[in-house]
Amino acid sequence: MLYWSLKTLLSEPVRLLVSALAVAVSFILVIFFSAVFEGESEQMVLYLEKMEADVWVMQKGVSNMHMTSSMVWDWKVDRIAQMPEVKEVAAILYFNGAVKIGGKDWFSYVIGISPQYRRTAPWAMVQGKSLPGPGEAVIPEVISQLTGVQIGDEIMLTDRPLKVVGLSRETFSMASAVVFVAREELGDLLEGRDQYSYIMVYAEPGVNAKTLAERIKQEIDKVNALTSEAFIASDRQLAVQMGAEIVRMMTMIGTLLATLIVAFTAYSLIARKKQELAITKALGFGNKQIYLAALSQTVVVTALGLLLALLISFTVLQWLPTVAPQINLSVRLHQFTSIAMVTLPVALLASLSAARTVAKVDPMTVFHQ
Amino acid sequence: MQTDMILQAIDLNKSFGQGEVLVQAVESVSLEIKRGEMILIMGPSGSGKTTLLSMLGALLSPTSGHVFIDGTDISSMKAAALAALRAQKIGFVFQAFNLLEALTVEENILFPARLSREGIAGARERLVTLLERLGLTARRKALPNTLSGGEKQRVAIARALINQPPIILADEPTGNLDSHKGQEVMMILHDIARDEGCAVLMVTHDPRVEEIADRVLWLEDGALRDRKSEQHAWVIDPVCGMRVDEWSASVTTDYNDEKFVFCSNRCLERFNAQPEHYIDEAR
Repeated sequence: MLYWSLKTLLSEPVRLLVSALAVAVSFILVIFFSAVFEGESEQMVLYLEKMEADVWVMQKGVSNMHMTSSMVWDWKVDRIAQMPEVKEVAAILYFNGAVKIGGKDWFSYVIGISPQYRRTAPWAMVQGKSLPGPGEAVIPEVISQLTGVQIGDEIMLTDRPLKVVGLSRETFSMASAVVFVAREELGDLLEGRDQYSYIMVYAEPGVNAKTLAERIKQEIDKVNALTSEAFIASDRQLAVQMGAEIVRMMTMIGTLLATLIVAFTAYSLIARKKQELAITKALGFGNKQIYLAALSQTVVVTALGLLLALLISFTVLQWLPTVAPQINLSVRLHQFTSIAMVTLPVALLASLSAARTVAKVDPMTVFHQ
Repeated sequence: MQTDMILQAIDLNKSFGQGEVLVQAVESVSLEIKRGEMILIMGPSGSGKTTLLSMLGALLSPTSGHVFIDGTDISSMKAAALAALRAQKIGFVFQAFNLLEALTVEENILFPARLSREGIAGARERLVTLLERLGLTARRKALPNTLSGGEKQRVAIARALINQPPIILADEPTGNLDSHKGQEVMMILHDIARDEGCAVLMVTHDPRVEEIADRVLWLEDGALRDRKSEQHAWVIDPVCGMRVDEWSASVTTDYNDEKFVFCSNRCLERFNAQPEHYIDEAR
């Protein structure tokens, strides 16, 4: 029966390909949602990763950067810098909120940079200078492409006009862009001229970051200190929590769509072959054998759909960033494996409609002309 | 111990519907068929021939009565057991050939062998024999849509025989064939009954077969009756010139208020393509 079912499937290659493509489309949706989510999550913590600090110090009670505010007196930066086993420190003032660029509000991480901490400035520039002075800003290149705002144009940070002096790379995500301004400018805006938000600590070689973080917490009053690893993980988790529900829903919709398409395909395959199923029943094949044959067809269609989805996704995801730079995509092996794991339940579920049809096929129809 | 009796029906009844719409399709039919016998079931259209054949072939449960196949009462068997019984004991030949379109000639013939004890490997030798006997060796790799009607029916016969069942049930096996091909198929079935010891039970309207059958059972209004000779109404098929019994014929058409009777659907199709030509020739 399996041989018959597979040969029947392969005897109509165009129909098989169309069915597999339909299944592939729904899987592509799932892969795409997942890739966007992963890409956005990675982009949201990229600034933290690029700073390559060993320990991050922030206001007590704070353990994130995303959707958070933190204020630490500037003298604490000096205190930490003087601690043994600390090689270097850097600090930023930080604010998250909307920046009006090209007439549109962009939710942004606004990083206030001090000239003495150059390493907190953008790490990849496309054009202009990376260290903004008072009244100046460095914006992501992607926003410049999307809005047409160029170097020399004006943007608004709350009620404050700033002149664009640089375009940075790798600083844009749909959920949050990174805009760099002078720390002096941001301090004035936040009424925190003698404060920083986050202090990056670089340890001497061989120093354990966790031990150093604990020591900072003990010695410096009212601060929280986390290893870079823990801080990034905490921020990533927050970002994931915020998007996870949406992605889960999108994945469910995609999976449901795939199931419906496979179910329809399986049903139409079976419905068109009712007469042949009646023949097999008359010849002595049981419902179970015929159902397994129908299931093998749905498995083949689903697996082929998955394979096509992977091939198309891989090609499209490589090409998409060139035409839609605002979309951050990240494709990881676990995304493909989780989709592959969904395949079998989808095929099983989808074959239920075919099973019902198989059970109802009357072998007596072999006598019909 | 093997007995000569292979198929037996005792007081078989089948009705459909209930109350005022109750239709008694088969009524109190009892019959016995021995190995090697070729039996025809004839009768007018709607007389219950196919319903009877379906019950004897374990495809339809009787409303009452018993069917014994090779000594086993199948009346109370479950669907799965009936399917297994069909695979082992019964070969089917249908009017519409009913081949599996995606499979080649030899794959179609071997298809039921998957259900036999020997499996496909065990059936290969018999496949070669059947292909030779039925003149299909050169067409063994062909797909059904490239075969003629006669070839399709020969493939169907080979498929029915591959598991060496003791019973062959044939439903109008010549209905879609012209007279020459029909004759050929009849002779094959006759030889099978003789050579292989199969009981061949055939539903047909074709009066030519009567000559080679061991017995003819006449079914009328669902019951077996004696056929009276005056119930023959011989007419000539305008296409092939064969003698056809108008009274029992199922392939007929009306053209210019005149009724024409045919030996097969093939002849009817030819007639429909050029009716004036065949009417002129017949006159």
